[in-house]
Amino acid sequence: MTGVKGMLGAVVTAPLVALARVLEVPLRLWQRLTGQGGMVAFFLLPNMAIFTLFVLLPLVINIAYSMTTGAALFLPERTYVGAAQYERLLRCTDYTNLMTCQEDQFWIALRNTGTFVVLQVTLLIVAATITALILNRALRALSFWRAVFFFPVLLSPVVVGLIWRWILDRNGVLNAALVGMGMDPVNWLLERNYAFSAAIGVTIWAHLGFFALILLAGLQAIPRDLYEAAEMDGTKPARVFWRITLPLLMPNMLVVIVLALIRAVQVFDEAYVLTGGGPGTATLFLTQYIYEVGFASLLKNPGLAAAASILMGGVLIVLTLLQLALGKRNERKGRLK
Amino acid sequence: MGRIQLHDIRKSFGAVDVLKGIDLTINEGELVVFVGPSGCGKSTLLRMIAGLDKPSSGRIEIDGVDVTPRSAADRGLAMVFQSYALYPHMTVRANMAFGLQNTNMPKPEIDARISEAARMLEIEPLLDRRPGQLSGGQRQRVAIGRAIVRRPTAFLLDEPLSNLDAELRVSMRAELSALHDRLGATMIHVTHDQVEAMTMADRIVVLRAGKVEQVDTPLNLFNRPANLFVAGFIGAPGMNLWAGQAKDGAVQLDSGARLPLPSGVTVPEGSVTLGIRPQHLRPMAGGPVRAEVRLIEALGPESVVHGDMGAGGTLLAVLAGQPDLARGTVIELGYDPQMAHVFGADGQRLA
Ligand SMILES: Nc1ncnc2c1ncn2[C@@H]1O[C@H](COP(=O)(O)OP(=O)(O)O)[C@@H](O)[C@H]1O
Ligand SMILES: [Mg+2]
Repeated sequence: MTGVKGMLGAVVTAPLVALARVLEVPLRLWQRLTGQGGMVAFFLLPNMAIFTLFVLLPLVINIAYSMTTGAALFLPERTYVGAAQYERLLRCTDYTNLMTCQEDQFWIALRNTGTFVVLQVTLLIVAATITALILNRALRALSFWRAVFFFPVLLSPVVVGLIWRWILDRNGVLNAALVGMGMDPVNWLLERNYAFSAAIGVTIWAHLGFFALILLAGLQAIPRDLYEAAEMDGTKPARVFWRITLPLLMPNMLVVIVLALIRAVQVFDEAYVLTGGGPGTATLFLTQYIYEVGFASLLKNPGLAAAASILMGGVLIVLTLLQLALGKRNERKGRLK
Repeated sequence: MGRIQLHDIRKSFGAVDVLKGIDLTINEGELVVFVGPSGCGKSTLLRMIAGLDKPSSGRIEIDGVDVTPRSAADRGLAMVFQSYALYPHMTVRANMAFGLQNTNMPKPEIDARISEAARMLEIEPLLDRRPGQLSGGQRQRVAIGRAIVRRPTAFLLDEPLSNLDAELRVSMRAELSALHDRLGATMIHVTHDQVEAMTMADRIVVLRAGKVEQVDTPLNLFNRPANLFVAGFIGAPGMNLWAGQAKDGAVQLDSGARLPLPSGVTVPEGSVTLGIRPQHLRPMAGGPVRAEVRLIEALGPESVVHGDMGAGGTLLAVLAGQPDLARGTVIELGYDPQMAHVFGADGQRLA
């Protein structure tokens, strides 16, 4: 076993070692010429270039787009309108009635996404925590069960959507089973609440394993003798969970919550394949709105889509900063211990 | 309160028999030390008593009541873990209060117990800190404090000193003994360090490979080890154990030396092992123990001499002062035969 691994390792590393030998002379020369700063630049540059080209530049272009109007694709051909697109997105005559908003679709998508985020993240976190707690107990065949729960994470979101549409469709597997048992079929994806619940359920199913695994790692890092100390004191299981497990899991838990929020705000592919935003606009989420306004609708409006995506980006940046702050705090705490 | 009796305790993990029938009585208020090499089952035995693990068979009684089927919480015992097992997210005060809160004890009573224990252990200034902000020795005290506030019938301590540095270990040893005197509660202290066992225990239980080898006071163990294992394990440096043939009141070693046996005991002829503590050997011209000096550890007040007796026999002697010996020279030593230990071919004590 180790022999084979060792051989494979050699196959992989031998060319790299050779490459390193070849590169050594010019690299040392470069270092002599430019000093340490030059080396740092040398190693960072490729990544920076890729990041600039595919992340930073599109972001800047997107901001520019959001301040223009028209159907033209090339930026120089577009008309500058300042904040008009943002105004259009956000203006309503009566904010208590979304139908009075100029872009009512945007507001519906916003409301749907908000509802989705709150429900999906709450249920997902609860389900992931319970799964992790159970997995943490399952001493036997732990890796098997871990794999079972992690498997959906490996599926492409489109495949997830297709699988569940195949199950939940009007003529799908679930209804076939219901009819087989003598019950009436249900229009799972054509009834507003069912469809919305399905979007929540399917995305939870798809992401549960990922979050449960992070939480499981956190649980397994809690020393066993803390539980034994609590056992000696006759601590009830519920109190152990709330006073020991949960507080010690909190660092992982916060990271998981923020990650789940970030993902939920961006909900798109699974839900889109599953329901296409329907019935009506029942499962229309922000990303789908942006996609349709920018690329899919008859009246393409890239400027409006860009403005909406910038707004959504703002929310995600706040969440990401929160995640970074949490990560830093955990790191500091870890060092303290 | 606090009399613990073990009846034929056995424990197997799968096919591995870790405890092979332990019978033991620990009296009220006694400080008993379980000692034995690493992996001999000390922790396992302590965890059975605590109720954290169930024995495969056997019975545990506390004050005459069979507690074997009872949960850990219902045995009235407190445990101090090797790792201290303090809750890292709680203050010292909360750590100590946690177990008491399970019993719905009124808050004033909890506070009173915590201040009393904190005063006793001199950790009052630390009460509002978290374990992460404490030194190893301070954590150790908190762990003990958390046990004290419970007013248990017995304390179980699993290698509580092994994570401390050598100096702190010595002072904590004394403090634990003092604490035991003060509380008067039964204590079971587990260690692999025979010096710790000797200095602390009322009685020592020597364990090896899941069996009790001997139970006695420290001095009785030192003076009358029941078998070869105890003889070699207790005392530092370890006892000289020389195998040979007993005949006519002496033991004939392979190297040719004839070492006198104690008088007044009958040792049957045949294979025996003679045991002599290094401290009981002294220089004697023409003495029966002859060895070539291999190494001298001069400690100041005494010197430990390692020697080679030929035919595979080795010598350890602790000689008073700083004798002028060179490596390679031959020394001649004698001993009082009454101080010698004799073990039969089965390893059991003959005299
Ligand atoms: N949960 C367990 N499963 C399997 N073997 C165990 C378990 N706990 C202890 N053992 C084994 O039992 C033996 C005694 O362990 P332990 O009581 O911890 O020894 P000690 O505390 O004397 O060093 C060791 O060989 C250990 O490997
Ligand atoms: Mg142990």
